Amino acid sequence: MKILGIDTSGYANAIGVIDGDQILADLVFEARADSLEKIVANIDFALEKAGLTLEDIQGFGVGLGPGSWTGIRVGVTVGKVLAYGTGKPVCGVPTLEVLAYNAQGRGGLICPVISAGAGDTIYAALYRRKGGTVSRITEYYVGDVQGLSQILKEPAILVGTGVEAYRQRLKQALGSPDVEIEMKEDVPRGAAVALLAAARLERGQSDDVLSLTPLYLREFAARAMVNRYAQAKGKA
Amino acid sequence: MLVLGIETSCDETSVAVVADGKQVLSNIIANQLDLHRRFGGVVPEIAARRHTELIGYVLHEALAAAGKTLADMEAVAVTSRQGLIGSLLVGVAAAKSLSYALKLPLIGVHHIEGHIFANLLSNPQLAMPHVCLTVSGGHTMLVYVHDYCRYELLGATLDDAAGEAFDKIAKFLGLGFPGGPVIDRLAAQGDRKAFKFPRPLLRASTLDFSFSGLKTAIINAFKSQIASGEALPLEDIAASFQEAVVEVLVSKTLRAALERRATAISVTGGVSANRRLREAFQESCRREGIEVYFPELSLCTDNAAMIAAAGYARLKQDGADDLNLDVIPNVPLEVQGGS
Ligand SMILES: [Zn+2]
Repeated sequence: MKILGIDTSGYANAIGVIDGDQILADLVFEARADSLEKIVANIDFALEKAGLTLEDIQGFGVGLGPGSWTGIRVGVTVGKVLAYGTGKPVCGVPTLEVLAYNAQGRGGLICPVISAGAGDTIYAALYRRKGGTVSRITEYYVGDVQGLSQILKEPAILVGTGVEAYRQRLKQALGSPDVEIEMKEDVPRGAAVALLAAARLERGQSDDVLSLTPLYLREFAARAMVNRYAQAKGKA
Repeated sequence: MLVLGIETSCDETSVAVVADGKQVLSNIIANQLDLHRRFGGVVPEIAARRHTELIGYVLHEALAAAGKTLADMEAVAVTSRQGLIGSLLVGVAAAKSLSYALKLPLIGVHHIEGHIFANLLSNPQLAMPHVCLTVSGGHTMLVYVHDYCRYELLGATLDDAAGEAFDKIAKFLGLGFPGGPVIDRLAAQGDRKAFKFPRPLLRASTLDFSFSGLKTAIINAFKSQIASGEALPLEDIAASFQEAVVEVLVSKTLRAALERRATAISVTGGVSANRRLREAFQESCRREGIEVYFPELSLCTDNAAMIAAAGYARLKQDGADDLNLDVIPNVPLEVQGGS
């Protein structure tokens, strides 16, 4: 199956094109102010690199987040409207799963981490390898780095952008020398999104093209922000 | 030529199908007012989330209502300039995806240019050149329309939009959001001469507007009643406030038309639905021998039909944009085009 996968949860445009288990293109256009505006032009570039056109694509994978709220909105919109426009199916894939998928070569538990942007807050979850893919074994975690120690009870690999910076704080919080934590610097990849989507599409699963929505995870933060905004407006 | 229009610049998610820039085949507008009402204004994060949820459904419904399929579309026009950045990005992402998937010419439209075309859609007999007042919760802008796609900015608000003043006063009086319709309704039962509220910049030579001081003026006028918890004369306040705003809008627009020797005025945007504003414009324009036009009510507030109509004219004049089309939250009408 020829699948296009995209993830814009960090503003960067991660775009991958696969054909079966073969990766034809796996590009990351770095995050810039105009990254989100360039997403469709970048998709065109990636398809050309893969030697394909949009007509060849049989389905779409899209990173749902969590991450930048604006970023995931653009990615999800592009994913579902491309699917609607071409009449092909779309699968939303949680971005934490995308990160975990690329770290599965190493054994042990996998803990993908995404910065929530503001302050010290991170998104995370624990994944275990399972039949060539990964499966989530905990609830999604939203909180500070130290709090991760509550769910990390055995050796694990922490994967994400800037995870090295978490090492010290996490070690202190863990206290126990038995729990070995390895750090792996990585960003969500478009090809991983495509491979995960392809696995679901092959099982006959896909998302409803009209109702597909981002995975924000931080509803409470959004509520707090919205309330602050409303209060400020009230005073104006 | 069938143009698909997309508008998501503020809090309406809208998709339309318009034939040859003239005939509206469908114009679906998903209003988010219920979501924003309790905050007394549009909350950008809520608006952008809602656009993302709704865009597919609204697109689907616009095609169905027009009795067309995506394959029938010949171009896609989208509001890419002027608005909330997070909201604009959703519409532009959708438009670029459709343009790419169906190989349709893509046209980025300035939101205010869309409002100008709302009137041309409703009133094809509207003469060129003319003076156009766009007035809503987001904008108050006087534009000299030389011809299709040729504009000159004459004046704009220095602070709040006129519709924003309606919202603030309605909030202060505890009347809810949005303020326009409820003040229009109350004012009909009030005396518009009961109170003399300030007419900001009315006599100044500029064609700019200022509405931010009105709320303070009204609070000051009723300080003692507010302090003692006495009931406010809501109908009279609404009517007198509305009259102050209407007088400024009408007199500045008329002055612009007379200065430019324009024979026609068009009034557009959400506040152009206000009954007293329409009445005052009609009275004054009749006196001066100037024609005045308003869009039909469905085209007053933000909608995609006006974007499709403007996009059609832009496509004929400048050709299409490419997939790099920029999203610009704040840019004056006069320097837009040909991005
Ligand atoms: Zn508007």
